[in-house]
Amino acid sequence: MRTVLAFAAALYVSLFITALFTDADISDLGPVARTYAQNGINDVGSANLVTAVIVTYRGLDTLGEVTVLFTASTAIILLLSLHAIARRASPASDIVSLTARVLPAPILLFGLYIIAHGHLSPGGGFPGGAVIASAALLVLLGCAGGVAFAHWLPLAESFAGLSFALLGFWGLLRMTQYLNNSVIPLGVPGNLISAGIIPLISTAIGVKVASELSAILAAFRAKGWEE
Amino acid sequence: MTISRIVLIAAMTLIGIGLVGILTRRHLIRIALAFTLASTGLNILLVWTGYLEGRNAPIINAELDGLAVDQIVDPLPQALVLTAIVIGVAVSALFIVVGVLTSRVLGTADVRELRKLKW
Amino acid sequence: MVMIHEHILLGIASVGSLTMIVAAIWALIVRDLLAAIILVGFVSLTASVLFLLMNAPDVAITEASIGAGLSTLIFLWGRARIHES
Repeated sequence: MRTVLAFAAALYVSLFITALFTDADISDLGPVARTYAQNGINDVGSANLVTAVIVTYRGLDTLGEVTVLFTASTAIILLLSLHAIARRASPASDIVSLTARVLPAPILLFGLYIIAHGHLSPGGGFPGGAVIASAALLVLLGCAGGVAFAHWLPLAESFAGLSFALLGFWGLLRMTQYLNNSVIPLGVPGNLISAGIIPLISTAIGVKVASELSAILAAFRAKGWEE
Repeated sequence: MTISRIVLIAAMTLIGIGLVGILTRRHLIRIALAFTLASTGLNILLVWTGYLEGRNAPIINAELDGLAVDQIVDPLPQALVLTAIVIGVAVSALFIVVGVLTSRVLGTADVRELRKLKW
Repeated sequence: MVMIHEHILLGIASVGSLTMIVAAIWALIVRDLLAAIILVGFVSLTASVLFLLMNAPDVAITEASIGAGLSTLIFLWGRARIHES
């Protein structure tokens, strides 16, 4: 066992030194990125190319990622429901409860802004969902009855995931291409209403990520052992 | 010594630190922390593969004169890492939950005690 | 990012990478688990700055909100619930 570890360590160190002295003189985009850069704005209509890649060009990978997130979240909530008991949350201190009365609404608004402008500026469904989950975390930590909103989170999560998959079928029916976003007219790139169904799919992804991460955090807060 | 070289060295060092942590630590939570470190280092390495010097972010706005092909970094690794980060936190949470339940069964958080769990 | 002078960007990259590596090594070595969790959150924060230097703003937002916020909370929960008799 020690010899295997020593060999692996030597291999890693040699890779490291090779990376240290290699002249990585790539100065141009590869062929795939070149295609995305040249045709992205006209085919997809989204000014943010990363959102175009996530939702349209590599939309199936995003569907798989949504499945992985769903599986992990279900496993966590199942394990905690079976093997832990409900605990009474300890009351929060003054600073936390005051902050939890003031801050969650602006954070929620900021998260919705990030989701809605996913095709115009940096952001999209994933960062927006994470920011909304931070607002939910603040509510969980600071408010006394905070875990009560967690009852309808699985419903929101399943509905959002189902609508993501069904929106792809709309593209299949009209354009014979799953997750094609030209089913709605593309519009002018740079407007809020543009880029086909990308805003709808971004909203679905954002709601799904936010509700999943909030459900995980609510399960952590509500389940314990002796307290 | 360019930005590209510095970030590459930092990313590979972070992966190495994470791997050493997974192999040598005994407490379950510390192993989960080292796993998160290695995952963060890998994400930096993935984004580094798309980085080109002197270019801009892959967002096409009105100030971009000339062809976009010459002015943006590669958007594909960024899209992959965006999903990878969210998956990473979910896997981390699952690791922590299984670790806490295992410590309840074993009575300790030392992974060397896991050998006592027989089939 | 090309609007900022390139030596300043090089300085930010060097300082950020150095603090990231020092914090990562320190997180493995320190005896207190609470300090280790907070140091890993700090590594995620500096990684977010490196993402911004590499012209990846979406990834930077995601890493900052998830790595430095939610992941730290999940580890703190695990530390509170782990059972060592």
